[in-house]
Amino acid sequence: MNSLLTSAVAGLTAAGAYALLGVCAVFTYRLVAVVNFTGAAIGTAGTFVLITLYDAGFPLWPSVFAGIAGGTIAGVLIGFVMTTWFAESAASTKAAVTVALLVGLIAIGLRLTGGQHPHVMPDLFPGSAFRLAGVEVTIASALTIGLAVLFTLLADWFLNLTRTGLHLRALSERPMAAELLGVRVKLLSIFVWAVTGSFTAFALMIIAPQRSPNFMTLSLLVVPALAAALVGLFRSFWIALAGGIVLGVVEGLVSGFDGVSQYRGAIPFLVILGVLLWSQRGARWDDAR
Amino acid sequence: MMHASLRSALTIAVSLAVAGAAIVGLLPPYWVFLATAVLITAVALLSLGLVTGRTGMIALCQMSFAGVGAWTVGYLNVWNAPGGLVAWIVAGGLAAVPLGVAIGLPALRLRGINLAIVTLSFAVAFDTILATITYPGQTAFISVPRPGIVDSDEGYFVFVLIIYALIAICLAFVTRTRLGASWLAVRHSERAAAAHGVSVPMAKLSAFAISAFIAGISGGMLAGYLGTLVSENFSMMQSLLLFAVATMAGAHFVEGAIIGGILIVMFPELLRRLDLPQDIGNVIFAIGATQALSTGETISETFRRLARKLLPARPVAEASASREHLPPPVTRTAGTALAIKGLTVRYGSVVALEDVSFDVPAGTVVGLIGPNGAGKSTFIDAVAGFLDRYGGQVSVEGRPLEGIGAHRRARMGVRRTWQTTRIAPELTVGEYLNLAAGGLSEDQRVAVLAWIGCPSPQVPVAAVDAGTRRLLDVAGVVAARPAVVLLDEPGAGQSYDQALKLGERIAEIPALFGSAVLLVEHDMDLVRAACSQVRVLDFGRIIASGPPDAVLDNPVVKKAYLGHAAESEAA
Repeated sequence: MNSLLTSAVAGLTAAGAYALLGVCAVFTYRLVAVVNFTGAAIGTAGTFVLITLYDAGFPLWPSVFAGIAGGTIAGVLIGFVMTTWFAESAASTKAAVTVALLVGLIAIGLRLTGGQHPHVMPDLFPGSAFRLAGVEVTIASALTIGLAVLFTLLADWFLNLTRTGLHLRALSERPMAAELLGVRVKLLSIFVWAVTGSFTAFALMIIAPQRSPNFMTLSLLVVPALAAALVGLFRSFWIALAGGIVLGVVEGLVSGFDGVSQYRGAIPFLVILGVLLWSQRGARWDDAR
Repeated sequence: MMHASLRSALTIAVSLAVAGAAIVGLLPPYWVFLATAVLITAVALLSLGLVTGRTGMIALCQMSFAGVGAWTVGYLNVWNAPGGLVAWIVAGGLAAVPLGVAIGLPALRLRGINLAIVTLSFAVAFDTILATITYPGQTAFISVPRPGIVDSDEGYFVFVLIIYALIAICLAFVTRTRLGASWLAVRHSERAAAAHGVSVPMAKLSAFAISAFIAGISGGMLAGYLGTLVSENFSMMQSLLLFAVATMAGAHFVEGAIIGGILIVMFPELLRRLDLPQDIGNVIFAIGATQALSTGETISETFRRLARKLLPARPVAEASASREHLPPPVTRTAGTALAIKGLTVRYGSVVALEDVSFDVPAGTVVGLIGPNGAGKSTFIDAVAGFLDRYGGQVSVEGRPLEGIGAHRRARMGVRRTWQTTRIAPELTVGEYLNLAAGGLSEDQRVAVLAWIGCPSPQVPVAAVDAGTRRLLDVAGVVAARPAVVLLDEPGAGQSYDQALKLGERIAEIPALFGSAVLLVEHDMDLVRAACSQVRVLDFGRIIASGPPDAVLDNPVVKKAYLGHAAESEAA
C-alpha cells in the first residue's frame, strides 16, 4: 500500500506539469481557436535558454528569468505566424500549421542544443515540502500543482469576469467581427501566446530534471497536455486541470510496476481513446460547416 | 466515368513504366537503390494523402501503421509462413486495418482535430512499444528475403514500382466512384455531404482504414528493402515529417506523392553531399508545409495550374441530349409528400420558427417566401435534420423523421440544396452528379444536365461559374428523385432570363422526376413561374398562404416585405 502511494506521489510533479500544459492548451483554444501542437515545444525553447546559460556559468535565477523570457518570445513568434497568416483559417488548418511548425521547431531545437545528447538540468527546487502519510512530497511537485491551480484560477477569472477576456472570447469565434468592433485582435492574440509561452516555460523547467532533457522528449509533453485538454473537452479549465493531475498520478502508479513501467508512454493514448468514446455518444454538427 | 478512370490509369501506368525504364537503364546502381526508397516513401505518402489531402483530416501516426506492416512481415518470415514476400506484405497491410479502425472509430464522429490528437498519442504509444521489441529475427541474424526474381536492387526497384503503380491505379479508380467523391465532399463540407445521404463517419472511417492498409504495405516493402529494421524507421518524428511533406507536396496526387518521396529521400542525400547538417531538411519541410497551408496550394497543384496555362483552354461545353434519356420518375402515391406540424425552433430566447404547420402535397411545387430573417433557412435545416432539436413533427410520405440524422433523412427522401453552393471544386460535373444521385447511366446523367442547362459531365466543377453551380445543385437533388426536394434560393445569382427558365424547369420537376418541391426564393417572377401554392413566413410564423398571385397581392404580405411605407400605400 505504502509503495503504491510512493509511486503515486512520485508522479505528482509530472501531474502538475501536465495539468498546467493542459490548461494552457484549453486557454489557447478558447481564446485564439488553435489546437496548439507546439505548446510544449515553446516551453522547451525557454527551458533550453536556461540550460545553455547555466552551462555557460551564469547564476541560476537570472538564467531562469532569461529562460521564461525565452519561452515568451518563442510563444510570440509562433503567435505572430498564426495571427498574420492564419487568423481566418479553419480550425483544422490551424492545427495542421502547428504540427508543421512542431517539426521545424524540434529540428531547430535539436540542432541548437546538440541533438539527443543529455544535458545537465539544474534542479530548481530540490528537497521535500512536507510528508503525506509518511511519503515525502517534493517542493517541485507542490509547486507545479500550485502553479497549475493558480493559472486555472487566473484563466477562469480572466475569461469570465474581465472585459478583455470577453473580447478575446468574441475574437476566437469571429475574429473579423471582433475587429470591426474595434478590438485590437492581433495584439490581444499575441498576448495570449506570450502568457502561455511564459507559463509553459516555467512548468517545463521544473519537470525537466525528471526527464531526459533533450529538446524532442520535452516537446512531446504536448501529448499528455492535449490528453488533459481533451478530458476538459477543450472547454473546462478545471476538468482539464483534474485530467492532467490524474494522468500524472496514473503514470506514477504504473511506473511502480516492473512489468509495465516501460509502457507508461501509452497512457495518454488510452486516456484519449476513453474520453473520445465517452464524450462522443451523440453526434453534433460543427458550427463552422 | 469509366472512360476517364481508364484513361488516367493508362496515363499512370505508361508514365511510371517510362520513368522506371529510364531509371533502371540510365542510373548507376546506388541511385536505383535510392529511387526504391523514394517509391516506398511515396506509397506511405499516398496513404497519408488519402486521409489528409483528400478527406481533409490530420493523421499523425502513418509510420506506426507502416511499422505494423513491417513487423508483420518480420514475424511471418521468422515463422516461415507460406506465400513469400508478396503475401506477407499484403498481410502486413491487412494487419494495420483493424488498428486503424480502432483508432478512427472514436475519433471520427466529430471534429477532425480529435483524429490529430489521438493519432499523435498513438504514435507516441507505439514508439514505446516498438522500443521494447526488436525486429523479429534480428538477434538470430535472419533478414527478410526477397523472392529470387527481384533479389537484385534493380529487380526490387521494379517490384516496388509495380506495387506503386497498382496502388496509384486502384486509387484512381476508387476516387472516381461515389465513395471517392464522398471523401472530397466531406473535406469540403460535412453538411453538404450528409445532405447527399453520405454518412460522414463512414466516409472518414473508410478513408482512414484504406489509408492504414496502404501504409502497412509501405512498411512491408521497407522490410524487404532493408532486410531488417529498427524502431527509429517508424518513430513518431517520421510520421510528423511525412505529414509535413504530404501537406507541402500534395500527396493525394500521384505525382505529389513521388515529389514528396524525392524530397524526403533525396534532400538529406543532397545536404550530406554539400556537407550540411541534414536536419535543415526538416526545417525547410516545415516552412514549405506552412506556406502550402497559407496559400491553400500544394506543389502538385501549382504544377497542375501551370500546366493548364500552357495547354489551350477548352471551352466549357454545355451538355446536350434529348429528354427521352432522363431517368424515369419514381411513381409516388398521391397524398402528402411532406407534412409539417407545429414546427418550433428556438435559439436561446430567440424564436426562429413558431408553430409552423403546412403540407407539401405530392406532385406539386410549393413556394416558401418571406423577408430576410423570416426563418426560411432554419425551416429547411430543421426538416433536413441539421438542427439538434426542434419542437413539432416532420414526416415524409407518412413516416416521421424525428430522431433521424441528416444523411438518413436524405436517403429516406428529403433532399436539399444550399443557399451558398457547397460543391467540392475538385470534382467533375459528372462525379458530382454521381455523388448526389448514384446508379444513373451516362446517358441519363447527360440528359439531366442538358435539361437544366449545365455543362457536360467531364467538365471540372472549378471551371463552372457560380450561377451554373447552383443549377448543378438542383440537378443533383432531382436526379436522385426523392419524395421531396427543398430548394434554398436556387435563383440567387441568376440573370432574369435564366431565373425564368429555371422557374419553368422547377415547375416540371414533379412530372419529370416524381418529386414534390418546396421552393424557398426571393425572386417573385421565379416563384410565379414555378409554384402552384405559396406560404409566407415572417418572424417565424406563417402569415399567408394560397395561390401565388393572390398571396403576393395580400397587403399583409406587402407590409412584411416592404415595411411601413407599403402599408400606408395600400391603405
